[in-house]
Amino acid sequence: MINLFKAMYTKELLDASRDKRSIMAGLYYAVGAPVLFCVLFMAIITKMVTPDTLSISIINAAAAPDLVRYLENNGIEAAEENDKSEITLVIDGDYAHQMNSGKPAQVFLQADYSKDSLRDSLRKVERKLNEYSGNIASLRLISRGVDPTLLRPVEFQVQDSATPDSKGSMIYGIATLSIILSVFFGAMNLAIDTTAGERERNSLALLLSHPISVTQLILSKVAAIATLSTCALLLVLLVSKFAYPMVPWEEMGFSVSLSYEFVVFSLIIGFPIALLAAGLLVYVSFMAKSFKEAQSYLTFVLFIPIGLSMLTTYNIAVEKVKWLPVAGQQSAMIEFIKGNAIMWPELLVSSFATMILAIGLIIMAGRMLKSEKVVFGL
Amino acid sequence: MIKVTNISKKIGDVQALDGLSFKAENGKITGILGPNGAGKTTCLRTIFGLLQPDNGTAFIDDFNIAVDPVQAKQQLGLFPDPCGLYDRLTPREYTEFFAKLSGMTGEQAKQATQETLQQLNMLEIADRRCKGFSQGQRMKTALAQAIVHKPSNIILDEPTRGLDVMSTRLLRDILQALKEAGHCVVFSSHVMQEVAALCDHVVVMAKGKVIAEGAPSDLCNMTNKENLEEAFIALIGTDEGIAA
Repeated sequence: MINLFKAMYTKELLDASRDKRSIMAGLYYAVGAPVLFCVLFMAIITKMVTPDTLSISIINAAAAPDLVRYLENNGIEAAEENDKSEITLVIDGDYAHQMNSGKPAQVFLQADYSKDSLRDSLRKVERKLNEYSGNIASLRLISRGVDPTLLRPVEFQVQDSATPDSKGSMIYGIATLSIILSVFFGAMNLAIDTTAGERERNSLALLLSHPISVTQLILSKVAAIATLSTCALLLVLLVSKFAYPMVPWEEMGFSVSLSYEFVVFSLIIGFPIALLAAGLLVYVSFMAKSFKEAQSYLTFVLFIPIGLSMLTTYNIAVEKVKWLPVAGQQSAMIEFIKGNAIMWPELLVSSFATMILAIGLIIMAGRMLKSEKVVFGL
Repeated sequence: MIKVTNISKKIGDVQALDGLSFKAENGKITGILGPNGAGKTTCLRTIFGLLQPDNGTAFIDDFNIAVDPVQAKQQLGLFPDPCGLYDRLTPREYTEFFAKLSGMTGEQAKQATQETLQQLNMLEIADRRCKGFSQGQRMKTALAQAIVHKPSNIILDEPTRGLDVMSTRLLRDILQALKEAGHCVVFSSHVMQEVAALCDHVVVMAKGKVIAEGAPSDLCNMTNKENLEEAFIALIGTDEGIAA
């Protein structure tokens, strides 16, 4: 009994280890995903920390040198003559005269307000113009001996309660998403090869004509796939561990550092997920008659775990979702990175649910292989 | 010894096997001869317990495949159609793996594999991966898998398809050797020359039933024909589906 399982398991791993294309596909994901996300995070952070200087066309700039200087100091500069910008600030010919005589001096902001891409820039220009106007007003009042605060009956201040950690929650979500998905994608090709492939090359009936039971067959395949998924998980964790410190997190005021404790923790809570992934891959691809068919089914079915993981990443119904398989483990991983206490009841329930689901899929796959219709495609 | 009694099996709307009975003795080569679609493969799959018959039983030695599938399967070796090789494994690994599946321990499997590879004269290719093997090499590998656990019964499903003359002769020699060693060899075919040259006993099948059985010469006498092909056509009643 154990010997048959061992023989089958060893053969699966030997066969898989020689399947260079599938191994490479798994490696691309495990190495590629964390690196890709790091590059993405770097780009986002750079953009957030050093906002781009906005360049607008200013017509008749000579009439309002002080305003132009003010805008320039606030990151809005006049575009070169022949460099047309989509936002144009027109300073009225009478500007200087009106300003000097203490009357409203006119400026016109011209742009296509229906363009979404301009919205932020326009809002920034408007805000700066209003600020400038307010500054001049205050100066005028002071010169007339009036306290400018009189014009500010309500003083409002923004107090942002976001901690650095909560700002990073989306980033934590994406980082853990990439880690969890490796369990599903890392061994996908190998899983298809050992199931639909076995049928395609007509070895399934040959295996079943030997004294091995369907249960032993499925269990050894699930074990082999889960082993490879776990390898992919370990690899993605290690690559992440070394890649994430290269992102300049300090500029965001928080950090994503993956300790070795986190690696071990993720491997342990990843085990039920690896079983679930293996069960799902085996069940779905045994339904398919060929490699290609299995691939198209799986691409579809894998949206389910991705969806569960997305819910956590985007903070949707998080209180309920963290009791569910995959999402629960991901929540726990996020709490672990943040250094918060792990919510054990949720984690245990979701891990248990993951195991039950995995066992259910394995039983269903076994039942399917007992049907002669499935084995021979009758 | 393989004994099939009164097996019936319906697949979809087709009565693939219809009260089929025959016996294949040890030390003899039994050929199952029939036109395409006669139910040869279905019959072999039923013997292996891969298909559940609606009626009837198959005995391998003294084990009923439906009751003692594990013991029954250990007495069987299958040469399937198509071969079902793993392209990334070598013949040695492949044969050893199936030896273990048939219940041998690691050490036994290793030794049996070495002996089988030697017997089939394939030590030269034993450690090359199966990818890119010729038909003959594939056939040998599949055969090694079928006989490595020294089953008393060996079943071959259309073993000569795609083989060149040399490989066919080699296969014939191997089957003769197995027969002389007292094995029960059963093979299905629709190639008359093969059956005529090899078989001690022929079971002619059509539409899921046994039409006639006996030694090739008996069949010729029975139908008053010169050779097996003519006898076969006379028995089947049509030459439909004989093209090999």
